[in-house]
Amino acid sequence: MKKTTFLFIVLIGFWGFAQEKDTSSYKKRVLESSEVDLLFSYYGQEGDHAAVSGGEGTERLTDAASSIVVRLPLNPNDVLTVDVGISAYTSASSSNVNPLDGDQTQDVSPFSASSGASRSDQLIHFNPSFEHSSPDRNKIWNANAYIASEYDYFSLGVGGGYTYAFNEKNTELSLSGKLYFDKWNPQYPIELRAGFFDNRISGSGNYMPSFTTFDKENRNSYSLSLAISQILSAKLQGSIFMDVVLQNGLLSTPFQRVYFSDMDDFFIDDFQLADDVERLPDSRFKIPVGARLNYYLNDVVVLRSYYRFYTDDWGVSAYTASLEVPVKLGDSFTFYPAYRFYGQTKADYFYGKEEALSTHDFYSSDYDLSKYTAHQYGVGVQYKDIFTKTRLFMFGLKALQLRLSKYDRSDGLGAFIMTLGTTFVAD
Amino acid sequence: MRLRLINVKKLGFLFCMLILSSSCVVVKEYEKVYVNDTEMQLSAKGEERFETNFQIYREAASGANGGRSGGGCGCN
Repeated sequence: MKKTTFLFIVLIGFWGFAQEKDTSSYKKRVLESSEVDLLFSYYGQEGDHAAVSGGEGTERLTDAASSIVVRLPLNPNDVLTVDVGISAYTSASSSNVNPLDGDQTQDVSPFSASSGASRSDQLIHFNPSFEHSSPDRNKIWNANAYIASEYDYFSLGVGGGYTYAFNEKNTELSLSGKLYFDKWNPQYPIELRAGFFDNRISGSGNYMPSFTTFDKENRNSYSLSLAISQILSAKLQGSIFMDVVLQNGLLSTPFQRVYFSDMDDFFIDDFQLADDVERLPDSRFKIPVGARLNYYLNDVVVLRSYYRFYTDDWGVSAYTASLEVPVKLGDSFTFYPAYRFYGQTKADYFYGKEEALSTHDFYSSDYDLSKYTAHQYGVGVQYKDIFTKTRLFMFGLKALQLRLSKYDRSDGLGAFIMTLGTTFVAD
Repeated sequence: MRLRLINVKKLGFLFCMLILSSSCVVVKEYEKVYVNDTEMQLSAKGEERFETNFQIYREAASGANGGRSGGGCGCN
């Protein structure tokens, strides 16, 4: 009996020790298993203020983009994310960098696209990032890189950040920084390139623009971001974030034409030849400050709000406000109506067509820098399967999202974007 | 410009108030079921990235929304 009691006590002791050891060694992983996001979007826009033709001309553009984002848990504390994507666009606007290389039987006009080589291009990006969390999950470090390339532009970026959670994880402070080192391969309007000649030019006198190419071809951006998020009650949480951004180098777009009011006009058919390209200062300092406030109204409706104020030293002030209201339709479906308002003042250097003077230091007829307001209306639907029953090879479908948005700008630009996203998790 | 600076100051003040308020509210882990809901996340959602991209290209303002605040030309 004594032996049996002794063995029982010893076994209980081992069991207790084993349980204790299991408990202490178990650590919840930051990411339980690998995830893959497949994202696709289609964007289309129409407008009549193309910057490439000095503020007057078609802005028709379509862009099809796709990305694959893979998140890999390296161990309980570390996650590696790799984001690769390609974006293929066809732009009537950029086709008019050289409006003369299309169909020779058609009249040349800023309101029609040239069918030449400059009408389409691809943008490829590669964005790896690494995140490390402390064992208590109160501190997170991350580092990331960004590489993007298209025909006339190359961008290289690096960044890093630190997040600290405290107050029983009710408060989170984040600090991050990013550096971008970009390089232009400047494409100037065809009529401003050396050796240009065309016997169809009409106008008073000889077409002799006083044009010089840009000395600098680099553009550098430095940004510092500070954010604080706070749980305000069991159903309410918010965050405030602020960026400080400095850009310098070639901030003008080399193929955007400008027409001066104090110079004679020259044409090929209906297409006016450039007096110059836009000239903008070689530095820009931006301060955007934003806030989010989310409220869990009930088990069906959540309110997600966002506000941003922006100012820069080019004279632009802007306000953004948006509200998204996720409505849960059962366990699997969520419906997302959304609205966004945006308004900005014009940049000090913006002039409409034939408004700038050749004696000005800086000028642009890019309507993205003009005064306008914009309204964006969107709807979305998400299907979520927590059991990942739908299979694709070794992955189970976790979520499927579809979003549609319409964007109307007060200067006449209209756009439409459709986004399709899927998330798969590995077994 | 002065008006704009005042707005920045106001937002800075709000920022400080939020930091100070952090010591007043403590929601326990077991009470976080609502704030941990995926729809309550405070960062921008992944599928919003393409919308954010075109807004960065078409609008003079950018940043403070989880999108890129530099890099890329956005010139088409």
